[in-house]
Amino acid sequence: MSTTAAPVPGASREQLGRLEEHWGERPSLRAWLTTVDHKKIGRRYLVTAGLFFALAGLSALAMRTQLARPESRLLSPQEYNQLFTMHGTAMIFLFATPMLFGFGNFLVPLLIGARDMAFPKLNALGYWIFLFAGLFMWASLPFGAAPNAGWFAYVPLTGQQHTPGLHMDVYSLGLLFLGIATTAGSINFIVTALKLRAPGMSLNRVPLFVWAIVATAFMVIFALPALNLDNAMLFLDRRFGTHFFDPAAGGNVLLWQHLFWIFGHPDVYIIVMPALGIVSAVLPAFTRRGVVGYVLVVFAIVAISIISFGVWVHHMFATGLPRLSYSFFSAASTIITIPSGIQIFAWLATMLLGRLVVRVPLLFVIGFIVTFVLGGFTGTMFALTAFDQQVTDSYFVVAHFHYVLIGGAVFPILAAIYYWLPKITGRMYHEGLGRWAFWLVFAGMHVTFFPMHLYGLFGMPRRVYTYPSEPGWDGWNLVSTIGSYLLAVGLLLVVVGVVHAIRRGRPAPPDPWGGDTLEWSTDSPPKSYNFPVLPQVHSLHPNWDESSRESMGAGAEADRILADGRTTLLTSELDGRREREVEMPGSSWQPLLLALVMLLFFTAMLFAWYPVAAVAAVAVAGTVATWLWPPRRPDRELGVSA
Amino acid sequence: MSAHPGPRARLAGGLLFWYAVLGGAVAWAVHLLAGWGVDELTCASGSDHIGGVPLRAAVGAAVALPALATVGALLAAVLLWRRTHPPSEGEDRSVGRGRLLAVVGFWSNLLFLTIIVLGGVALLVLPPCQR
Repeated sequence: MSTTAAPVPGASREQLGRLEEHWGERPSLRAWLTTVDHKKIGRRYLVTAGLFFALAGLSALAMRTQLARPESRLLSPQEYNQLFTMHGTAMIFLFATPMLFGFGNFLVPLLIGARDMAFPKLNALGYWIFLFAGLFMWASLPFGAAPNAGWFAYVPLTGQQHTPGLHMDVYSLGLLFLGIATTAGSINFIVTALKLRAPGMSLNRVPLFVWAIVATAFMVIFALPALNLDNAMLFLDRRFGTHFFDPAAGGNVLLWQHLFWIFGHPDVYIIVMPALGIVSAVLPAFTRRGVVGYVLVVFAIVAISIISFGVWVHHMFATGLPRLSYSFFSAASTIITIPSGIQIFAWLATMLLGRLVVRVPLLFVIGFIVTFVLGGFTGTMFALTAFDQQVTDSYFVVAHFHYVLIGGAVFPILAAIYYWLPKITGRMYHEGLGRWAFWLVFAGMHVTFFPMHLYGLFGMPRRVYTYPSEPGWDGWNLVSTIGSYLLAVGLLLVVVGVVHAIRRGRPAPPDPWGGDTLEWSTDSPPKSYNFPVLPQVHSLHPNWDESSRESMGAGAEADRILADGRTTLLTSELDGRREREVEMPGSSWQPLLLALVMLLFFTAMLFAWYPVAAVAAVAVAGTVATWLWPPRRPDRELGVSA
Repeated sequence: MSAHPGPRARLAGGLLFWYAVLGGAVAWAVHLLAGWGVDELTCASGSDHIGGVPLRAAVGAAVALPALATVGALLAAVLLWRRTHPPSEGEDRSVGRGRLLAVVGFWSNLLFLTIIVLGGVALLVLPPCQR
């Protein structure tokens, strides 16, 4: 078991000075705009995704206020449609995935013992695009031009004939723009985890959070092209009169649904998978033992990430496809519960066999297990075609996916915030505030969403801006609304707790929890170069393992200090064998510039300023060419004698 | 006998290794796309034959062949598992990594075989084009 002190650096003071010289940045506006440091970019992802979460949450509060009583007229149908569409779209695309990518950005290099992500400039580009795509979409709301046909945007409702105006153009272009960031981030995670692991970190020593992030990244790479294709075709249909989804002209309406859900169901796991990785990362510190059944949890991660691509038609059980076709997807939808269940039982066994330390992160993990299992239970019910057809488009579905997504993503995210806050900010949070926040969030969540099962079964359809007084609807809707305010107060307390920690929290030691992974073996917050000495990993729990810790202290070797430049180590994909040093890029204006010209391109396309769009496209090509142009190297480095 | 296998043996061993780990997943993907695609497109065209072959037989092939391939992958994973063992202190780290992938391959092949078999059961009880 570790102490709360980082290993004594095996690097000399002079080497530390040189590392700081190569990796450090002096605070300035220029440094802020051009940084490629994964920790700063990770923090920005977290804050920006948190702001988009707040906007989406306020939209939800407005809707719940409207639905508190029947026949309410607080919001017009048009306003309600835009709010529920932006709520869903933002929660899925602008909060959940970017928030988890934020944790991934901050943590993956620290967990694997590297000095940065594999492609730091691409990382910065991903953040700027995410920011601009989010602003692009939210900016449409004050003008009454926000997307308004649901986050799934089914055709023919979303065609130009039924939804005129810019609404769905904002949706399709916004998601295409955002998709560039998500794809870039995923490639970066895969290459980082495969090539930059510390020497000795073979696949069987990779932390479960990293397994989860890599599996997620692969899912994004395979799933996102379907959504991009869908949105490109929707935009072409709406703007240029193509007929991809028009049956009268040889198109197919169901094509939208197939492509959307080929992306959409894996996306549930894209959201949940890193969160499950968070749970596996948090538990060892608060149970004082490793997660039970590491190999089976790895199997579960791999199996879920593959099977999730074979369940999409269960979102289309009411579309009239042949029943035999349904059965293939029904089988996969049923069996995918097995690897999910393996993880749940592994965590329960870990808690049973370990010594529980009940702190706020563990409370959120327990809240996650309770809520997620309930969501999973109703999910299994949907795998039965007959039941699915009865409750399709009712509030029962809304209850189910909020249990899955709040249980499966928000609770682990909150656990992660409290768990890694000392590492990210260098400050400890207030335990009492955190406990209050947990109980308010937990109670608020269940008071809001459990009644939705009931009025869904009583026949209340989803996506209605108001409703007539019906038996079983009125009272339960009021309960849901009261719960939503309770939930909001709980989430506000989380924000208060974070601000309090940053302003008044006591300084955090390197390892306040006795964690098992490498991020706890360095300072809180980590120095710009992460580790004075890159570790040599000897086990699955390097921070609990004396040999691994010693490799950063007395056992340090010069070829793992790398103080002579901005470099990190490349290692082999399977066994983490040392290959060579690799030079890492420093701060650059290119990511911000490229994101800005892309924003110009998408804005021009939205407003049909095609000449401007053409100029922006040329600017994008020029910036990319400059980015990729090989840097001029000194003759000596190229092996040319003077 | 040489202690180090030649390049051909290494290539064959590598292919067998990855077949043991990922064979079931690939077979299931083929089963799903072929079974679902053939069924939906043929029924949409108003026929229950495809190239003169009854649709039930075509979908049956899309179940049976991937199932056989998955059984093969399962056996390869068992072989891989028997040839590895839990890593001990100071042992080459590739042993532990091989063991991990053998276990992952074994359980995932078993899971994919179950999904394919369940699809096959549906073929026995449902007419291919019933809506």
